[in-house]
Amino acid sequence: MKKYLLPIVYLVIGIAVLLGMFDLASMLTAGNKIPIPSASKVLSTLFGLWSDPFYDNGPNDKGIGFQLLVSLATVFKGFLLATLVALPVGYLIGSSKIIMSILNPIIQILRPVSPLAWFPLGLALFEASDKAAVFAVFITCIWPTLINTALGVASVPADHKNVGKAFGFSKWKTITKIYFPFSLSYIFTGLKLSIGVAWLVIVAAEMLSGGSGIGFFVWDSWNASSLEKVIAVILTIGVVGLLLDKAFSMMQKKFSYTS
Amino acid sequence: MSDLIIETKNTSVEEIISNAINCIEVDNVTVSFGSGKNIYTAVKDISLTVKKGEIVALIGHSGCGKSTLMGSISGMVKATQGTVKANGKIVSGPGPDRGIVFQNYSLLPWLTVYRNIYEAVDSALPSLSNAEKKKLVEQNLQQVNLWVHKDKLPGQLSGGMKQRVAIARAFAINPSILLLDEPFGALDALTKSNMHVELLKLWNLDNREKTIIIVTHDIEEAIFLADKVVVMNNGPAATIKEIVDISLPRPRNKKEIIHDAEYMKIHDKLLGLLIDKFSIDDI
Repeated sequence: MKKYLLPIVYLVIGIAVLLGMFDLASMLTAGNKIPIPSASKVLSTLFGLWSDPFYDNGPNDKGIGFQLLVSLATVFKGFLLATLVALPVGYLIGSSKIIMSILNPIIQILRPVSPLAWFPLGLALFEASDKAAVFAVFITCIWPTLINTALGVASVPADHKNVGKAFGFSKWKTITKIYFPFSLSYIFTGLKLSIGVAWLVIVAAEMLSGGSGIGFFVWDSWNASSLEKVIAVILTIGVVGLLLDKAFSMMQKKFSYTS
Repeated sequence: MSDLIIETKNTSVEEIISNAINCIEVDNVTVSFGSGKNIYTAVKDISLTVKKGEIVALIGHSGCGKSTLMGSISGMVKATQGTVKANGKIVSGPGPDRGIVFQNYSLLPWLTVYRNIYEAVDSALPSLSNAEKKKLVEQNLQQVNLWVHKDKLPGQLSGGMKQRVAIARAFAINPSILLLDEPFGALDALTKSNMHVELLKLWNLDNREKTIIIVTHDIEEAIFLADKVVVMNNGPAATIKEIVDISLPRPRNKKEIIHDAEYMKIHDKLLGLLIDKFSIDDI
């Protein structure tokens, strides 16, 4: 009983502390031009937003559910494209020292660049801001997946490789039955990091691209001076990010094997 | 599993003739690793012949190059000098005529027991039809009493079961030569005993036609299983110290054999070869 009760107690304490600080900040900023709203006001706004998430009053006034779906679609498009590129390239880097030596300096230079810096390039290439957002997500998602796949492939134990050698596995079978399954938990680590960063980036990208998406929704709420809406959307973004992370953590666990 | 006596098979004339054929010929093999100043010679100028159907044990201290010598026969290790011939052909890499059982089972943890064997059969015997491959897998799993566990992952099996899967996998590709690299080192004494009997059972089922080389550091294991025990010197640059014939008649009974005078003589001899100075002062 205690085992189940304690985490709930801690959660309640955490939320109480957060709400308390919230209301304190709200009281302290009461004199500002745009004061921080009280916790209750934010919560009622949040429920308001989610009571009718899919309304559609024209291009500039859509429900939060729609905005969320637009952002998720952009993220998954960029994420899937990046995965398609990063897996084979990661495999090549992990399995060949030469390819590793050629590509490593390029990766090291490009990896630390903020994905938003690629946004103008996306605009130039695709001449559409929504595609530029996909492009920014694509670039974001490449690095963690690529690096973790390469790491996974490079750390396949000699024991497993020996099985393939001893029984004469074909190249294809060696990849699909030894390298790929072994690397899966590494790959899912990469995918989890990728989707996490992509979810960070999409908000900023949509603030730049405008028009639609959860990032646009935040910016739009700010322009309407509705800070309670901004904070309500922040909470929504946080919960979605948490769910994405949990989903990939579960898959990562599923594909970790003990021999 | 429980019966410790191995059934006898009448030895036919054909078998006696085929037994005379050299199955493995190791000719002046030296294996070195690294290059330049960091060169390390594991085994040096080793020559050894093994006849068809013989069971040979390679015995020596840890790191004496037993596994390296074994690797040069399996083709997993390349001989720096000299040649290894298996069934008359020069070994240039692993091949389906040589089945390998690795030290640490080496099962693929993401494949079921069944798939572990199937993938090996599928690769080593590509000319068989799917039905024939499946039949082979089933047959070999039945032989080691693991058919009921066919859908389990290796992680769900005990050490002994894992090693039986590895042995079934090696037998399934029906190699003429079986190479076992310290196969039972990680097992408890009781499981180990049972595995010895299982191994000899499989060898008998196949009319004792398979040539078996087993790397071990267990003297009892070597005497119980082998026709010939190859004792190696300590590395680096290990050589063969002596080859001891085990003329104990088969079938050998695990319980009775240890009281046999011949057994005790061989045991003492091997112990003496492995431990040069054998006095209390050294302990």
